[in-house]
Order: sequence, then C-alpha cells, then structure tokens
Amino acid sequence: MTTHSSVPRRILLQSAAAASLVGGGRSAVAVDPIKIGMPVTLTGALGSIGTQMRQACEFWAKQVNAKGGLLGRPVELIIEDTAGNPSNTVRKAQEMVERNGVRLLTCIVASNEALAVAPKLAEWDAIFVSGDNGDGRLTGESLVPNFFRPNTSGPMGTRAVTLWLRDSPMKKFYGIGMDYAWGHNSMDVFEREAKRAGKEFLGAVFSPTGTKDFSTYITKIRQSGAEGCYLVLAGDDNNAFLSQANQYRLGDKVQLLTEQVDEGSINAVGDAAVGLVGGSRYPATLDNPANKAFVASWQKEYGRLPQMFEGDQYQSCVVLQAAIEKAGSIEAAKVRAAMEGLVVDSVKGRVEMRACDHQGEQAGFVVKVVKKAGMERPVPEVIATYPAKRITPACNKMSYDD
Amino acid sequence: MRGLIIAVIVLAAAPLGLPPFAMTLLTEALILGLLAMSLDLMVGYTRLISFGHAAAYGLGAYTCGDLLLHTTLPLPFAVLAAALASGVIAIGVAWTCTLAKGVSFSMLTLAFAQLLYAVAFKWTAVTGASDGLAGIPRRAGPFGLTVFQTKNGYYYLVLACLLGAYAFCRSLVQSPFGAVLRGIRENEPKTLSLGYNTRLYKIAVVAISFALGGLSGALYSPFAGFANTDLLFWLFSGQVLIMVIVGGKGTLIGPILGAAFFMLLEHVLSLYTESWALFFGLIFIGFVTFAPDGIWGLMRRRARV
Repeated sequence: MTTHSSVPRRILLQSAAAASLVGGGRSAVAVDPIKIGMPVTLTGALGSIGTQMRQACEFWAKQVNAKGGLLGRPVELIIEDTAGNPSNTVRKAQEMVERNGVRLLTCIVASNEALAVAPKLAEWDAIFVSGDNGDGRLTGESLVPNFFRPNTSGPMGTRAVTLWLRDSPMKKFYGIGMDYAWGHNSMDVFEREAKRAGKEFLGAVFSPTGTKDFSTYITKIRQSGAEGCYLVLAGDDNNAFLSQANQYRLGDKVQLLTEQVDEGSINAVGDAAVGLVGGSRYPATLDNPANKAFVASWQKEYGRLPQMFEGDQYQSCVVLQAAIEKAGSIEAAKVRAAMEGLVVDSVKGRVEMRACDHQGEQAGFVVKVVKKAGMERPVPEVIATYPAKRITPACNKMSYDD
Repeated sequence: MRGLIIAVIVLAAAPLGLPPFAMTLLTEALILGLLAMSLDLMVGYTRLISFGHAAAYGLGAYTCGDLLLHTTLPLPFAVLAAALASGVIAIGVAWTCTLAKGVSFSMLTLAFAQLLYAVAFKWTAVTGASDGLAGIPRRAGPFGLTVFQTKNGYYYLVLACLLGAYAFCRSLVQSPFGAVLRGIRENEPKTLSLGYNTRLYKIAVVAISFALGGLSGALYSPFAGFANTDLLFWLFSGQVLIMVIVGGKGTLIGPILGAAFFMLLEHVLSLYTESWALFFGLIFIGFVTFAPDGIWGLMRRRARV
C-alpha cells in the first residue's frame, strides 16, 4: 500500500551449489540452509551504498559456502529491495521472518530503517547485525538486546575526523548535512567536538535527501567565511554536491571535510573528489593479514579493490559468522550470548563486540583523496590511524568526555 | 445478507487456518478496507472526490502512535481517541474545503494532505520527522487485558472495528441523513432548494469519513509498530481512491474488496515484475472502461444472471 509504486520486490536466492555439495555428500536428506534476510536499499538515493553492501554479503556467502557452509549448513541470502523506505523495510523483514523463517537480518542501509526494525526484533525472535548503520542512538537510547553493530558508527567516524582536527591549523568551520537522522546526529557530534578542540563552529545547513542542486548551499558555505566545511552527505547527494562544489571551485577556498570518504562517490565524480579529507570506515589499503587475504580474493573475483561499505559489511558478516560458530546454533538467544564479548580479527584488525551496548570496538582511520600516478581514479590514502579506545565512545554514549 | 454472514464467519475463522504471514497480510487488508470504505462515504455517496484521504490515515496513525508512546493509555482507548481527533480536525478541514466545489474541492483536500505531510516532515518532536515514530507499543488494558497484544487478538480488534464501522456506515446511508447525501450527489442545487443546508451535511460527512479513516490509521500504527510520512503522501491518497473505484463506489462493501484486491495484486504482481504498477494501471483502466461498478458490481451482476 504505502510502497512507492516503483519498488520492485526482487527475491534472489543464493544457495544452491553449496547445498548440493554439502547435502549430497553425506546423505540424501537436504540440509536445512541458514537463511539470512537482507532488506536492502538497492534503488533510490542510498542505492549505491546498498549495492556495495549486497555485494559484500554475496561475496562472503560464496566464500562460506565454498568451504562447506556454516555449521555444515549452506548459507542462503534472501534479498529484497526496500527503496530506502522504513515502512517497506519493516514489512519486508516481517515477511522474511514469517514466511521464510529467517532469524538473522543484516544489510539494512539507512539508519531510519534500522531504527524502525529494531523494536520488532524481540517479537520476531531475530538477530539484526548492522553492516553500516551509523545512528548513535542504535547503541544508545534505542538499543535493543537483539541488535549488534560490528561496523563503525556515525559518532565514531566523526570522532576520527575530530581527533585529526585538533592538530589542524584551521580555526573556523561550517557544516552541510542530509536532512534526516544520520545527518543531524553527526552534525551535532561534530559541532560539539569542534568547539571542544577550540575551533569556531559558524553554523550548518541541511539539505533534503535527494537534493540535486546544491548551488544555494554552496553559496551559503562560501559566505560563511569558514576555512573548513564538514559534509555529512551520502550516495547521490554526496556526488551531486562534490561535482557542483568543484564547478564553483569551493575547494580552493574551503577545505572539505567529511565523516566518511566513500569510493563510490570518488568513482562517480572522479577528480572533483581530490583534496577531500575524511574518516573512512574501511580503507582497502590497510596492512593486516586478514585484509590482505580479503583484498586479494576480492580482486580475483571482481577485478577491483573493495570499497568502503563493502569492507565494513564484510566485517559484519565475519563477526556474525564467528558468533554462529561459537554458538553452534542460529537461535537468537544463543547467538546473542555468543556475540557479547566476542573478539574477531577481521579486515579492520581487532574488533571486540562489547557486551554493554553491542558496539564493536575498533580502530578509526582518516584518509585524504589523492591522485596517484598509474591509477585511473583518485584514491583515498590513510593519513592517520587512531586506536579503538580513543575512537569508541563510552557504553550507550554518543559523545566523548575528552 | 446471507453472503455477508458467511463472509464474517470465514473472516472470524481465518486465524485457525492461515499461516502467520497470511494473517499479517489479511490484517493489513482489513485496515486498508476500513480506510477505503470511509472514503466511499465521500466519493460514492456524496460525490465529494478527495485526493487527500491519506491525511485521515496519517492523522490517526500519528495520534495513536504518540498516545501509545508517551502516555499509558490502553490500546483500544488510544485507537478511539485518535479516530475522534481526526474527526474533530476534519471539521475545520471540511469547513475550508467545502467553500469550493468539484475539482477545486479535490485540490483543496490534496493541498491539506500535502500540508500535513510537510508538517510531519518538520515537526520532529511529535512525528519524528523522516525517522518516523518507531517502536509503537501495543499497551495492555483496559483491566489488564492483554489479548490485543497477540497477533490474532489484534486481528480480531481490527475485524471488530471494520464490522462496527460497516454497520454504522450502512445505517447512516440508509437513514434520512444518507438520503440527503445522495441528494447532494445527484443534484446539489435542488437539494439546497428543498431547504437542506447542504454545506453542513457535507462538513458532517467529511468529519465522519475522516474519523473512520483516522480509525484505520490508528489501527495501522500499533500493527506495524511504526508510522512515517509515507502514510501522508499524496501517492497513497491516490491509491485509496483507486481501491474505492476498482472495488465499486457507493457500495461500502466494494471498497473493502477493492483494498484487498489492490494489496493482493501488488503482492502477486511484484513477485514477477518490477513494473507492477504499470500492469495495475492497465487493470484500473479496464475497470473504469468496462466495469464502472467495480468488483462488487461484477459480483452482483453474476449473482443476478
């Protein structure tokens, strides 16, 4: 009913190959697959992020199934497009639970979708493992027992940037954010952090999701007299802003900062992204054994480096996998118990799923987009790394004491 | 009449035979059916074409959601209070909208719904803006009654509301009040010249229609546990109008069938094609051209043959 009429209901089932391998080898009885529900935004403004996340899940499922599955059972992904609409997301997740018997959810793109789904988890007896949801409230005031966030949260992403900011010579800042939960949330954190670092925060503007023309916003940023401008934009909005900012030569006057540098937009806007400084939830250039193995097999599969949301979602999948293996079951209560306090060495290094607020403690990174010889497109280069203890806020908190 | 009793028995027995997901769909279909039926009072009986009936739904949904989130009011009372609130607000809306007639009336209803949509998008404290209201609880009570918290219990609450509303609408349209509404539909100047203050009647029917539409919205938000601005979007107003027309306007039962048909078709079509709306559009054109009486009209014609 309330669906936007363009919403497709795609069901892509992924399992078959492994199912026959595992089941056929041992007995004639088919092995019951582990179903993972993915109500993911594939169309609309955040579609590019959802596409990355879906690919990471598919890559992970393929890896797991090639090795004989999880607990000897194949992994089956149940994927449906939500078009970024929270009421769709709730309905589709409910359908997955009630009709397909799904007990594990992941890959929900927008924070407002995640906030809508979280209160339903107890009723569904299902676990939701976030792959990218940033809103601080999810592990704060809105935390529910069956929600886990192995990925970097919005406040954590901003934290990395503000730690970097303290050492920067710039004094005056302005901000532009998307006019929804994540945008306002991150901007609040940045404002507080900037002030704490002894900087001046001149104000912020918010653009509705799906804004195509940013010229009036760019004028406001220029006129503010700020040296740095903080961007909390994602997907198509981010691309539109960066391209237009480049046309207006905003970068010459103002250092553009962002909570997260997303390769999706670098690929979309090309050289217009050069000079952008920001946090990264996952830079593919990280130097650790798990990441090297991941990048190598990803490149073999897709012929390119993994992007930020791909790495972040992949880490969430790996955490979920570790929890299921530890629990020896996919029952919500057992997975929850296994997840609390779980430590995993994944693509971003050590992640600890702390029991108090279900947030994964992990390192934070700041990158700068640079043009490199021999590379077709600009790439994000790590310019600073901060340890997990400084990046992760106190339990149930969205802000920092120092 | 016998058909109606059979239908009620089948609906009452549905939880015994249907799997959980089918029950979720059926509950939603009944809620939408109530909304479509409430619009039928305006469209079918009074020829007041509203392009903004989502406003009634959204008002009910947000009011009920806020009541359940911020007060300890038991679920049935919150639902009734929300319905009442929509009806009362509708008096003001109707007073404004009935200043105009025909297309202008329709445009005013659309404008009002869009106004509410804009307000809902900005008034974070009350509506949660683009986040919407999440985690709307089904509060127990009154007297510690917990039956409505269960899936099937909630279904029976919805069914009871729908049947109650149907009985009310049916007696309304058969009453002298209903006769005046039909008079307005067929020939307003004549009705006016007979001494009826037609504007008052129109205001009354809009208020009743909004109260019942608000009732369905109020039932929706604790059902979904969630309310957001989509409930107020103009696209949704259009869909409700389609449900009424496809089902058969001016029949009360028809729009309920239309709503169920719309939901079912969306569900089935979207399994096979991404452009399900295109096919639905064709079906809609088919109905308007070849069966202007809608589904209910077709069923009755069959019964007579």
